[in-house]
Amino acid sequence: MTNHDTHITALFADDAQAAAAVGALRQTQWPVADVHGPIPSQAISGALGIKKSGVGWFTLAGGVFGFFLGYFLAVFTSARWGLIVSGKPVLSYIPFFIVGFEFTILFSVLANVLGLILLMRLPAHRDLPRYRPECSADRFGVVVSCRQGEAPEVRRFLTELGGEMPEPADTQRDL
Amino acid sequence: MQNAKSRIIPAALGLVLIGTVAFGWSLAAGHPAAAWRAYLVNFLLFSAIAQGALVFSAMMHTVHAKWSRRLENLAESFAAFFPVSFVLFLGLFFGRAYVFPWMHADLHGKEVWLNVQFLFSRDGIALLVLYGLGFAYLYYTLWFKVDAYNPVTGLQLRLTRLWARRRPDPEKYKHRRYVFGVLYLMAFAVVLSLIGFDLVMAAEPHWYSTLFGAYTFIKAIYVGFGALLILAACTHASRGTGFLLSQSEFIDMGKLFFAFCLAWADLFYCQLVVIWYGNISEETAYVITRTMLAPWNRVAWAVFIVCFVAPFLILLNRRIKAVPWFMTCLCGLVLIGMWLEHYLLLGPALAGHNSASTAFSAGDVLIFLGFAGLLIAAVTGYLRQFPGMLDAAPGKAEAEGTD
Repeated sequence: MTNHDTHITALFADDAQAAAAVGALRQTQWPVADVHGPIPSQAISGALGIKKSGVGWFTLAGGVFGFFLGYFLAVFTSARWGLIVSGKPVLSYIPFFIVGFEFTILFSVLANVLGLILLMRLPAHRDLPRYRPECSADRFGVVVSCRQGEAPEVRRFLTELGGEMPEPADTQRDL
Repeated sequence: MQNAKSRIIPAALGLVLIGTVAFGWSLAAGHPAAAWRAYLVNFLLFSAIAQGALVFSAMMHTVHAKWSRRLENLAESFAAFFPVSFVLFLGLFFGRAYVFPWMHADLHGKEVWLNVQFLFSRDGIALLVLYGLGFAYLYYTLWFKVDAYNPVTGLQLRLTRLWARRRPDPEKYKHRRYVFGVLYLMAFAVVLSLIGFDLVMAAEPHWYSTLFGAYTFIKAIYVGFGALLILAACTHASRGTGFLLSQSEFIDMGKLFFAFCLAWADLFYCQLVVIWYGNISEETAYVITRTMLAPWNRVAWAVFIVCFVAPFLILLNRRIKAVPWFMTCLCGLVLIGMWLEHYLLLGPALAGHNSASTAFSAGDVLIFLGFAGLLIAAVTGYLRQFPGMLDAAPGKAEAEGTD
């Protein structure tokens, strides 16, 4: 098992460059430890080979559940009172759709947040020691693991791919 | 493959011939009401497809979208149907006794608006304005796409001479393209509303819905985008052209189609719920006839399932939007659903007390094929005149970074 004790961060101007760098790194023996960026990028996710998030399933389930719950709530409350308003049937399914729709949106959002919390295992009480503030502005950071002796070669490789090598905070030895 | 391409126009003209014969046969066989009903329905549907498809290009230029360049080229080809649509509109005059059931009805003061001369004048002018703006937009957008130094067809040569006469300035042309794009979008909303009110809603002259105009033009965008997806998928699948769309382009176009499916259903529901709450007999009769009473209630359910339920459930899936053959089938199904929807809106009004004329016949299908042939011939003819629109390479606008 290789002992990758050093991490090098390279900054890229856009996600396409970062994704290309990730793709190139995956052909080498140096693993990509992390990628940081100011916006989500499908190109980078694709290059990393990350599978599609399962949050959508939570949202769909929440939406379907909310729709039927909304309809059920409207039917249940109307049936409990049994009042005839403006000559309309007590169970008026056409306007009940509005309640169903509103509950669809509400429960989709709630389930989405729940899915996000569960799948990201939040709250995460950990720091990002290799995070660089530029990645919250206009740069994409690719963090590469390597051995201490390989660091110059990795830097050269990343520079050739268009990465900027901020010094000296980019190289951090794991504690 | 070249042979297959060269067979498209003759095949389309063959469909036109079939449709014309079916229309003539219906007239001669003593079914003029059914023949003119089919004519009106298909005129409305295929005009809406052409008008709605050009909206895609105008809309994308207006919001400065860049992902949709190749699809815009295809969307613009539908403008070739505009002259045909206008001629078909004029043809309605000959069937006025059948397509305007209010002609001999007591209109209780609505005669000022609902009279044949005024209707043809205002709708004719409105269509001329809409199509004129569409062609003006096309004139300026084509300048960015046609190679002025190497016009390869007669129409390109004529356009190149026109442009050369006025010393085109890229910035000015870009601005004008933007202005005419916006004007087309505005005219589209107004003119389609007017057409919806005059040719569809007025068939029941005592029924009205103020949302009917919006419903009409949203429906036109829905069918226009559907037809554009079919054209894009077929062209993508054709090996004879260099036209290829990426997976993400198909997915994004599918999302837009999905969005207008929801918008169409939303406008339908907005009208339904207001009429339901109001419960005024002069409004509810229209809905009851079409959704609760036979035979139209079956058509209503078919339209609802085909145009909303099925696309809604299917298009929730992301990956399915990137399967061209499947999207072709789905969009084709929606177009057929919308064809039925036109029958649903117009059928009961045009049938009057003659229940026999509510039935569909083979003539309806053949006349539909005739109109489809006209659209196919017009679009193919345009793409023959501008073969560069099917190239995978970027056009002048992209290459020069003028946008």
